[in-house]
Amino acid sequence: MLTPEPCAIACDGRILACDARTAARGVAPGLALTAACALVPHLAVRPRDPAGETEALLGLAAWATQFTPSVALEFPDARFPHAQLSSTHTLVLEIEASLKLFGGTAPILATARRELAAMGFTARIASAPTAKSAVWLARAGREVALDPARLATGLADLPLRLLDCGADTCAALAAIGASTIGDLLRLPRDGVARRFGRHLLDEIDRALGRLPDPRTFFTPPPRFHARLDLAAEVTQAEMLLFAARRLVVQLAGFLAARSGGVQRLALQLFHRETHATEVAIGLVAPSRDAEHFTRLLRERLDTLGLRAPVRAIALVAENIVPLAGEPLALFGDGGETGGNGGTGDWAKLVERLRARLGAAAVHGVATAAEHRPERATRQVEPVAAERRRLPPRLPSRAAALRSAGTGVRPFWLLAQPRPLEEIGAVPHHGGPLVLLAGPERIESGWWDGGDVARDYFIAETRDHAVVWVFRERRAPGGWFLHGLFA
Amino acid sequence: MLPEYAELHCLTNFTFLRGASHPEELVGRAAALGYAALAVTDECSLAGVVRAHIAAKDAGLKLIAGSELLLEDGPKLVLLAQSRAGYGNLAELVTRGRRNAEKGRYRLMRADLDGGLADCLALLVPGAEAPASPAAPHPLLADAHWLAERFSGRAWIAAELLCGPDDRAALARLRALARESGLPLVAAGDVHMHVRLRRRLQDVLTAIRLGRPVRACGHALHPNAERSLRMRVRLAQTYPAELLAETLRVAERCGFSLDALRYEYPEELVPPGETPASHLRKLTEAGLTWRFPGGVPERVRALIEHELALLAELRYEPYFLTVHDIVRFARDRGILCQGRGSAANSAVCYCLGITEVDPARMSMLFERFVSRERDEPPDIDVDFEHQRREEVIQHIYAKYGRDRAALTATVITYRAKSAVRDVGRALGLELPQVDRLASSLAWWDGRKALPDRLREAGFDPASPVIAQLVALVGMLIGFPRHLSQHTGGFVIARDRLSRLVPIENAAMPDRSVIQWDKDDLDALGLLKVDVLALGMLSAIRHALAMVSACRGAPFTIADVPPEDPGVYEMVSRADTVGVFQIESRAQMSMLPRLRPACFFDLVIEVAIVRPGPIQGGMVHPYLRRRQGLEPVTYPSEAVRSVLSRTLGVPIFQEQVMALAVVAAGFTPGEADRLRRAMAAWRRKGGLEPFEQRLKEGMRARGYGEDFADQIYRQILGFGEYGFPESHSASFALLVYVSAWLKRYEPAAFCAALLNSQPMGFYAPAQLVQDARRHHVEVRPVDVTASAWDCSLEPGAPAPALRLGMRMVKGLPQAAAERIVGAREAQPFASVDDLARRAALDRRALKCLAAADALAALAGHRRMAYWHVAGVETAPHLLRDAPFLEAAPALAAPSEGERLVADYGSLGLTLGRHPLALLRPRLARMRLATAAEIQAMPHGRIARAAGIVTGRQRPDTASGVVFVTLEDETGCVNVIVWRSLSSRQRRELLGARLLGVYGTVEREGEVVHLVARRLADHSDLLGRLAARSRDFH
Repeated sequence: MLTPEPCAIACDGRILACDARTAARGVAPGLALTAACALVPHLAVRPRDPAGETEALLGLAAWATQFTPSVALEFPDARFPHAQLSSTHTLVLEIEASLKLFGGTAPILATARRELAAMGFTARIASAPTAKSAVWLARAGREVALDPARLATGLADLPLRLLDCGADTCAALAAIGASTIGDLLRLPRDGVARRFGRHLLDEIDRALGRLPDPRTFFTPPPRFHARLDLAAEVTQAEMLLFAARRLVVQLAGFLAARSGGVQRLALQLFHRETHATEVAIGLVAPSRDAEHFTRLLRERLDTLGLRAPVRAIALVAENIVPLAGEPLALFGDGGETGGNGGTGDWAKLVERLRARLGAAAVHGVATAAEHRPERATRQVEPVAAERRRLPPRLPSRAAALRSAGTGVRPFWLLAQPRPLEEIGAVPHHGGPLVLLAGPERIESGWWDGGDVARDYFIAETRDHAVVWVFRERRAPGGWFLHGLFA
Repeated sequence: MLPEYAELHCLTNFTFLRGASHPEELVGRAAALGYAALAVTDECSLAGVVRAHIAAKDAGLKLIAGSELLLEDGPKLVLLAQSRAGYGNLAELVTRGRRNAEKGRYRLMRADLDGGLADCLALLVPGAEAPASPAAPHPLLADAHWLAERFSGRAWIAAELLCGPDDRAALARLRALARESGLPLVAAGDVHMHVRLRRRLQDVLTAIRLGRPVRACGHALHPNAERSLRMRVRLAQTYPAELLAETLRVAERCGFSLDALRYEYPEELVPPGETPASHLRKLTEAGLTWRFPGGVPERVRALIEHELALLAELRYEPYFLTVHDIVRFARDRGILCQGRGSAANSAVCYCLGITEVDPARMSMLFERFVSRERDEPPDIDVDFEHQRREEVIQHIYAKYGRDRAALTATVITYRAKSAVRDVGRALGLELPQVDRLASSLAWWDGRKALPDRLREAGFDPASPVIAQLVALVGMLIGFPRHLSQHTGGFVIARDRLSRLVPIENAAMPDRSVIQWDKDDLDALGLLKVDVLALGMLSAIRHALAMVSACRGAPFTIADVPPEDPGVYEMVSRADTVGVFQIESRAQMSMLPRLRPACFFDLVIEVAIVRPGPIQGGMVHPYLRRRQGLEPVTYPSEAVRSVLSRTLGVPIFQEQVMALAVVAAGFTPGEADRLRRAMAAWRRKGGLEPFEQRLKEGMRARGYGEDFADQIYRQILGFGEYGFPESHSASFALLVYVSAWLKRYEPAAFCAALLNSQPMGFYAPAQLVQDARRHHVEVRPVDVTASAWDCSLEPGAPAPALRLGMRMVKGLPQAAAERIVGAREAQPFASVDDLARRAALDRRALKCLAAADALAALAGHRRMAYWHVAGVETAPHLLRDAPFLEAAPALAAPSEGERLVADYGSLGLTLGRHPLALLRPRLARMRLATAAEIQAMPHGRIARAAGIVTGRQRPDTASGVVFVTLEDETGCVNVIVWRSLSSRQRRELLGARLLGVYGTVEREGEVVHLVARRLADHSDLLGRLAARSRDFH
């Protein structure tokens, strides 16, 4: 993380990790956040992002598969939420089968170290004859390559806290003066088992290779990527669509096999000379409907001017989400007119409008609880699920009493209030206005710099149109037209 | 011509997080606008009404007491008290609503008003509801009928026209409602603030109430600032004249003033056939015989007669009887107690056993504290042992019942820190930012400091959000936030207390509090008895009990020999760790200079090291005069009469007031008003009229401008922190008794202090260190010898102190008591035997192992842990059969490890001081010991290091921090000036082992090390857990 200020990551009011500048001022993981802030006044504090951490580790696991298909992950132990990041996120690689290919342990470690550094990660790397011993060595910061003969001696002076045996057991062991694996092994085995359980000894036995230590290996996440080289260079969108259709079907099959859907896909167009063009498609809701995908692609390709002839295409889809079985064909053939008015058709209509007009031009409208009229509505994503939602139950009488009712609002609100001429204290809009109701005073919005102080009136123009006007309460004052009633 | 108007619906900030103005502000504004009357109608509360009443009296405004209520199954109402009876009914209704709900809420139903509240007027408060169609009836019609039935001829519909969407239409609907229901309309304002400018604060309060940022509050915010006290010219434009005129008719029917409240004393304390006066005389006579077995001195007899006559005249006997009853209860239970306060040091109180301060010892005049002129109840605070005060409180509830006795409220107000936190959140700052801001204000409060602190915390005070925050925080500070219970102020009534003031639930179960605080009670002249908790009384009782047991005869406070020179010699050396009141750093540095030599010197010592005398600049003149460096002079004979006992320097609060009388011509009543104003000026200001009056009075009596200025400065200094002689005298007695115990019974004294923790300035480690320095043998916690409490064991030449199992962190008292019980049956054979017979679970066993309390059974700590881990605690068929198992030969822990473990479990060690272990290293760093520093001459450049055992930042010492460093030879007293503390904040606040480079300052025996540079050597300590008591 690069920030101009010293920075740290906090979790539950404690420092979890910090950068070098912060550490230099006395902050260390585990310190209370308030204490850290007292030490480093300008400390930029970020909350912990467990999802981000997981994503990063998964990415690294995928990267690690270059060394061996057998990659296992160890995530932070929920029992120790404040443990240092570096000692909790662990990748375990079984490299025995890859040694020949890479020419031994050293080249693998060197490559890993180099590439991890290039990716901006700090890592501690150790290798040992068993998975567990390698993990412990790495967590202990012993970046060694241990050969089988020295396994037992190499582990003897490792601290017992590396074993995931819980803080209580660790403390109990420390209390009798056993702080390393060697110390523990020197105690009477029966006595230890009776006091602290077999688990501890089993762990050590796994590390020493006396007990098996099976692991679940990482499987790369599903991702759809299919490429099609075109027989001849294509210059027409319609022809591309025909070719793309083959990949779309493939995608639909891929998704169906996984009971999944996607909300985003991309068609890549490869040209001879220039780099590829990407046509990205976003959906309102996840889907695996091939017809639907095709229609959306058609809309986009129709409006897309091809920069250059296309030699090959590829369809890419990531982030596959679970999607229950969907009756694909039942309403899907309803056609472009969308006869039955179901939500699916409505969603498709929105997508097609957006494909033609651009995403920004089409949006939904929702009311916002705001006194300032210009902020009482807001743009929202068109939501397909429900077009109209009733409150789950009517508010209680007491609540109704407390919430002040808002007044009548015009259907059409001007984007900007328009100043009105004032003649003899009477506002004019194509002639003098007759004030029908008001003033409704609105003074609100100071917190975002948009404070208003206005007296609103409903007024009638000379040609009997009803308008909404206000008098500015602050200097220099004046009358403004703000809305038109239908 | 402006219309007359009375505002009938107005919330103060005692409707927490709704009202945005103080009662005083509302009253002041209403008076300035020329309102005919103002009703204070806080939501189900009368908490703000006394303040409003006082302000209204000053402003000459008519005040109406009332309350806004939202019925759970009905409409919103405003109820107004017409008379004393109506007020009582309203107070009872509010009590019912509050008692029916958790703290801070209320719950009232239509049924609660079924009888109609007699002698009260009712306003129906419509919201924004409108009929579904023009033809449909108004939604409130049924409510209006309901109200009209119950409040026939005394109910109105409030027309609150607040520039809503269409006021004209709203008014038309209300007129229709009035017509159909037969209830008249009256104008009202739903006032939430005294001026429009409070709108932002009002929005912020809404946001705090809802727990969201302002921007997310939507329609919960008021649309405009109309809910303020509006100018009458605007009211005239807004309302039809007849609705405004109606407000006056409503106001006229409310004839009740809080002045009509009279306190009625409980009656049952007087036996049949006696009057309060005759009964008090009987008790006093009995006390005289008890106190003066050898015959009553003539002077005391005269004093008694004088006091009884005065009490009879003022009819205060029932108050003294009430206090006497409480004290007698405590005495019967063996609970140590001591009265103090304005009336406590009278001869009558001495005879009643309320105080131990012998009137023959003192020369205070009773009249000074109970005056003829001031028609107000006397004030007696009674301190009880802090560990047993609850028994006294429950006695009061049991004796008088919850209807008649309740605790006084303490109004918790916004401080800088809480205001920053709440406003910050309301403005939508991120939580870490808000916390950072708030915590950087933790120790250094104050409005002036705010911009600096903001900058330090990394915020730009000039940015709009921060500027807004600063402005809002400034307004919010001092706002009441909630009612809490006073530490012990009881109000006891003759009949139902809830007819005097509403009672609500406290956060603690079994407690109830009234809605008024002590200032409110004071202002109305209502009686209260302070039942306070004092740790030192617990300690003294423990110590006396141990001394009694050792001597084989009862030993009480009265048996402590008075005026012992050895005690004063010890006190003059500032050898006072653990002694009541005079153990703080500030007190300790004063003692060698003041060199107390008699009881009255202790009274002065207690009073002089206070912010009042210090800020008033009285300390140095007094010391110089005492040391004979400056002549004792008086500007006049009159002043001499007031100040002669204190060498011409005012030290007690009473003296300052007496000065106002003799030097400026105040009447005693005026002087008392001055005292009240003094107590409040920092919060409210308002001393200026007194300043003028005081200075003019002194000029007129021929005193110089300098003298007048000096007296006024002293009054300001005393304002917040003045300490009355009456309190000092009671405290001084405890000072003397505790100092005597420390001097002659150091083991018992230390054990008693340990058994009374937490209390005082020092942690157990320092108390034990101090005892050992005084040659007390301290023995470790041991399951084969210790009780729960620390105790005395025979020893030579003096009794030894055995640490009790209460010192063991985490060990439950019940477990310790089982250990003692099982041990008495038969000594323990092993850890297993102990676990079995004392039924200890593994947790308790581990605690004992951690404390090294199993040494006699298992050997060193590691062995103890090994045994404890091996104990089978689950029920087991063969549990009683001993386990045959070889014990491993575990190496003994190192001295350092033992030390860390000792501190971890006990908070102290009986082994070597941690710094003794580090001394070779420290010596290489050329750091001197405390003993060496103590021996250095003035001005020597020196460096020292020690464990930080205390950081004190007295309010009196502008930004100076006193740090106490402890090493194996004693303590170093370090002074850190503000410039250094801001530069080396991290070392100052963070270091556990602190190195100080500085200069020795010596004044007689008082030695300080004035720091020039600080160094954090905490890394040398490793995991050693040193505890510091920070910032008293």
